[in-house]
Amino acid sequence: MAIMLILFLICSELQKLHKQFVIGDILSETEFWATRMKLLDDKASRKPKQRVGLKSDMIFNVKPSSDGQSNRVTFNLTPEIIHQIFAEKPAVRQAYLTFVPSKMTEKDFWTKYWRAEYLHSTKNIVAAAAEAAEDEELAVFLKQDDILANEARRKIRRVDPTLDMEADEGDDYTHLPDHGLPRDGSKDVMDSQYEQYRRSFLQDLNRHAAVVLEGRAIDVESGDTRSVAEALARSKQVELANEASDGNVNQERLDRISRMAEIEDLQAPRDHPVAPLSIKDPRDYFDSQQANALKTFGDTLAGTKQMTSDLSTSEAYGSLRESISEIKAVGLRAPIVKSEVALKVLNGLNQNISSTKYQIGKNARESVLDRLPKITRDELLLHWTSIQELLKHFWSSYPITTTYLYTKVNLAIMMYCNVITSVSSFPLQWVLDECEIRIICGQTEGCHVKNLSKATGNILSKCHDPASTTDLKESQSDFRHQVSLLVQPMLQALDAAFAHYDADLQKRSAKSGERPNGLV
Amino acid sequence: MKFQIEDVTVYFPYDHIYPEQHAYMVELKRALDAKGHCLLEMPTGTGKTIALLSLITSYALSKPSSLVKLLYCTRTVHEMEKTLAELKLLHRYQRLHLGDAARTLALGLSSRKNLCINPAVVSAENRDSVDAGCRKLTASWVRALAVENPNIPTCRFYEDYEKAASDAVLPPGVYTLQDLRAFGKEKEWCPYFLARHMVQFANVVVYSYQYLLDPKVAGIISKEMQRESVVVFDEAHNIDNVCIEALSVSVRRQTLEGATRNLNKMTQEIQRFKNTDAGRLRAEYNRLVDGLAQRGNLPIGDTWLSNPVLPDDILKQAVPGHIRKAESFVSLLRRLVQYLKGRLETENVEKEGPVAFVGSINAQVGIDQKTLRFCYDRLHSLMLTLEITDTDEFLHIQTICDFATLVGTYTRGFSIIIEPFDERMPHIPDPVLQLSCHDASLAIKPVFERFQSVVITSGTLSPIDLYPRLLNFNPVVSRSFTMSLTRDCICPMVLTRGSDQLPVSTKFDLRSDPGVERNYGRLLLEMVSVVPDGIVCFFVSYSYMDGIVNSWNETGILKEIMQHKLVFIETQDVVETTLALDNYRKACDCGRGAVFFSVARGKVAEGIDFDRHYGRLVIMFGVPFQYTLSRILLARLEYLLETFQIKEGDFLTFDALRQAAQCVGRVIRSKADYGMMIFADKRYSRHDKRSKLPGWILSHLRDAHLNLSTDMAVHIAREFLRKMAQPYDKTGGSGKKTLLSQEDLEKVGNGSLGEMLF
Repeated sequence: MAIMLILFLICSELQKLHKQFVIGDILSETEFWATRMKLLDDKASRKPKQRVGLKSDMIFNVKPSSDGQSNRVTFNLTPEIIHQIFAEKPAVRQAYLTFVPSKMTEKDFWTKYWRAEYLHSTKNIVAAAAEAAEDEELAVFLKQDDILANEARRKIRRVDPTLDMEADEGDDYTHLPDHGLPRDGSKDVMDSQYEQYRRSFLQDLNRHAAVVLEGRAIDVESGDTRSVAEALARSKQVELANEASDGNVNQERLDRISRMAEIEDLQAPRDHPVAPLSIKDPRDYFDSQQANALKTFGDTLAGTKQMTSDLSTSEAYGSLRESISEIKAVGLRAPIVKSEVALKVLNGLNQNISSTKYQIGKNARESVLDRLPKITRDELLLHWTSIQELLKHFWSSYPITTTYLYTKVNLAIMMYCNVITSVSSFPLQWVLDECEIRIICGQTEGCHVKNLSKATGNILSKCHDPASTTDLKESQSDFRHQVSLLVQPMLQALDAAFAHYDADLQKRSAKSGERPNGLV
Repeated sequence: MKFQIEDVTVYFPYDHIYPEQHAYMVELKRALDAKGHCLLEMPTGTGKTIALLSLITSYALSKPSSLVKLLYCTRTVHEMEKTLAELKLLHRYQRLHLGDAARTLALGLSSRKNLCINPAVVSAENRDSVDAGCRKLTASWVRALAVENPNIPTCRFYEDYEKAASDAVLPPGVYTLQDLRAFGKEKEWCPYFLARHMVQFANVVVYSYQYLLDPKVAGIISKEMQRESVVVFDEAHNIDNVCIEALSVSVRRQTLEGATRNLNKMTQEIQRFKNTDAGRLRAEYNRLVDGLAQRGNLPIGDTWLSNPVLPDDILKQAVPGHIRKAESFVSLLRRLVQYLKGRLETENVEKEGPVAFVGSINAQVGIDQKTLRFCYDRLHSLMLTLEITDTDEFLHIQTICDFATLVGTYTRGFSIIIEPFDERMPHIPDPVLQLSCHDASLAIKPVFERFQSVVITSGTLSPIDLYPRLLNFNPVVSRSFTMSLTRDCICPMVLTRGSDQLPVSTKFDLRSDPGVERNYGRLLLEMVSVVPDGIVCFFVSYSYMDGIVNSWNETGILKEIMQHKLVFIETQDVVETTLALDNYRKACDCGRGAVFFSVARGKVAEGIDFDRHYGRLVIMFGVPFQYTLSRILLARLEYLLETFQIKEGDFLTFDALRQAAQCVGRVIRSKADYGMMIFADKRYSRHDKRSKLPGWILSHLRDAHLNLSTDMAVHIAREFLRKMAQPYDKTGGSGKKTLLSQEDLEKVGNGSLGEMLF
């Protein structure tokens, strides 16, 4: 119940529906919620879950906080930091998997890790080597990362050959040490025993950027360090297997090189390879397109209306005749229509098409719906949702196996009629111009609700009331087409339901002629 | 497109051509006709490489009887790959128009490490072990043994290659290193030896500078090349340094210790051979009596390197009597090593010329100049005789012998400098004996003499009259081209002050000033928030970069930078740097954007392009002067002053500015590309520094951009980027044409094209 209330708070639409159907005794409470709950669950799982990348910032590169009184320092590790450390330093991850918790506790592990980091930051390689010699676990953190080195060796083979500086290394035919002039930087030769403890901040930076670029490989949200470490290790293996399997990378690389070798502006533009357009969420896509289109639409809207009203029918007819006779006399010229004109027309049509599509859009800030009076729009939307709701229940009751379902269907059908009557009561009667006949058929044949025809009669009379219609037409004739288009799917859905109901009813009565009231 | 330059039909694989490319080809053609050397400067981003390749290959095609062969030298392997990729495009186009008449063979050549396909060998860590691993499987004596004993491993690729014998040829086409490996794998032939063999027949060979400049290599690889060949040194602005490095050796304590170990091992081996196979040593003795020239008959797997620096008559001479015997040669080397050890003991810095040094060797250990000169070749003969395959173990003694040969060969242009410790770390004893070459012309002289046309070209050869002096040659054509731009797509700026109006500089007294470091950091921070995609930063040295990055990290600037773009850094580890570059490109491709920190004289600055979205902005932090306290540099400057009357300051500025220009020039690849360049140092605003920049940068450097502060630079950057993002007419529209089509070229004869351009 509490949840229900919350939901009502969030969604007043839902509340209205509830009021209409449950309080109106058409659906039972459980029925209403059964479908609704599923929808809600669905919504929850469908909510766009953006995959969060890694932070660009090196968050593990933190300064410890100290209490200022003793030499003790404190590090705060968050799951995010741990994830980053594991992703960027596979050796630490590996060490964690082997050491914790069999050999040491997690706390000890991280203490050792930060100690090693401290030793690095002092840049005293000799001291680091000495410490490592005493403590083999600490040495793991201090030594260079073998896993990374292997990975680098593997990756270097796949690198673009026009970048591969490694191939240069010793391309000179006879490579003798100590040849050439000492260059800047190559001076600091070091004893080989310390070599493995060398590590620079610059390396860390490169590694960090590479990991961020790769993106988050795993989807573990839990704070459990071990599972993060394991998941990362697994994802690395998957990556390895993938690399082994795809063979056409090589070809791609070659193509790319030859493309890169061309000088672009000396060459006529080449056909770009066609990439299939894949739109994950069409609605989002069209909405955004619509927003773009509407911007221009808004500007030109007034102009187009002006244009249409400028010409009287006879004038238009005259010009058409004229051009036809001209064509007859002269024959077709190469551009039948002036290209600017064609473009204009095309644009106009496009805008029309995309704008009607957009009307169903929810954030109808600029949509046609929004130009309707607020009350009308709300009503329209409410009807739409309630018809949807009813249809859902209607279809879910088929095949009819119990009397209960049968009555439910009947009830639903009745409700449609109610809805339709209420539709009729809203001031945009002209919407109904197109559907009146269908409604009448539906009402009279489908379910024998007499008062409905009365209502229809009302509508029709209203529709034909010259004062109101002309008024509407003058002010909003532009939307007429669009709104009717909007109503169209609603009507079609209803038609389908009615048709199905009729067919089913006939079948039923044919099967058991003596029992017109359906199943027992 | 296809067009005529005088009598040559040039096939150019694009529909359009830049006017400067056309002019470049015309000049190049003149040099080829005159059979002389030439020096051509053309800005980066105007398609030098393709212009060169298409002219020279078309020239060769139009004169089928001539033996014009192209030897294209690049500085790095990745540039080699890029060149071959362009050549592939060109070749495809020529095949399309000429059919089989355009059949050419073009290949890249590299070391075993880059070509080997034997998994057991190529998995070795460094190239030396790959070489040694290969020798262990392919040396003639190993293979001879393997015939008798099947348990001795050999390389099946090499065996198959040998079996195929004369059938083992590469069909015409363009082969990158990767293509060579793929071909080798398919046929099961060793690609390395195949390539080495095919070099003689190829029409185009692309390899690194060393293959022509290093005397130790040139003798073996390039000796077969005909005189008619055209040699191209691309990106040659550093060629003087490469030449100098090819002839410089340094000896450290470790080298000498290693050499002693090598000598002990050799003594043991000699003893063993004496007991088992004395005839072998005698045979070697006899061969040496006949002279060094005999070595040509050795099988290809065993070949060692001859020394083309030695005049031919020496090669035909007998090796001096007292080193023909293996034991006496080894004991002579021992004496030499002992002498060098003694010299390293010194406590003061010493500097002397080669003549004095040789004199002192002769006086103290009794080795004369002529004997020294033969050391390198005698050592290799001995190593062959002793059937030493693990050559990677014997590198130290090779270094010593190389040193001896160089000292014995040259009497001028070198100096020997002994330093007991590094100037920068006087408390750490690290004695080093350096034989440094000062005269770049020495290494390149044989190249100029052997080949009739040598083309030296780069984006930065300013001032262009300096190079003929440094390299001591007379070009028939020496020209510098400007760039005709459709729009102002490069935007150089000189930034002299930070936002707080304090000067920024990497001058010695300012470089570690926290204010300067902060201002540099703020500059980058402002720029990362304004510039899309890639930004490249160049620092003056590794140590400076390391320092400033750490200081940015401490002050939190780095963190802020990382909020905008990912940061990648060039380190001294090439593998890591390569991966960082790869990731940098990925980050630029995916739109994430990234900053790359690099070093002005480092490997990245040498050959990696940051064109298009890979580099919309280059910031050069400071002026990349060489470390001026280095004694080697001082000795070189002294030599330059004495021999060429080039003033110290002039040379240093020239050298620093060409490096800076090279760094910033990497952003432009074509006229459709655009990029900004910031020279962030107050010294760039001085006329004497600035004027050394190449003309194509200077012509775009507006007076208003000469003395900027950070905020002004950010403003200009915003404006520039907005302007560049607009569509434009590529052909240049009215006025100057910057893109010529075939009709344009036909319409305008060769003569008047020049007027159109300038």
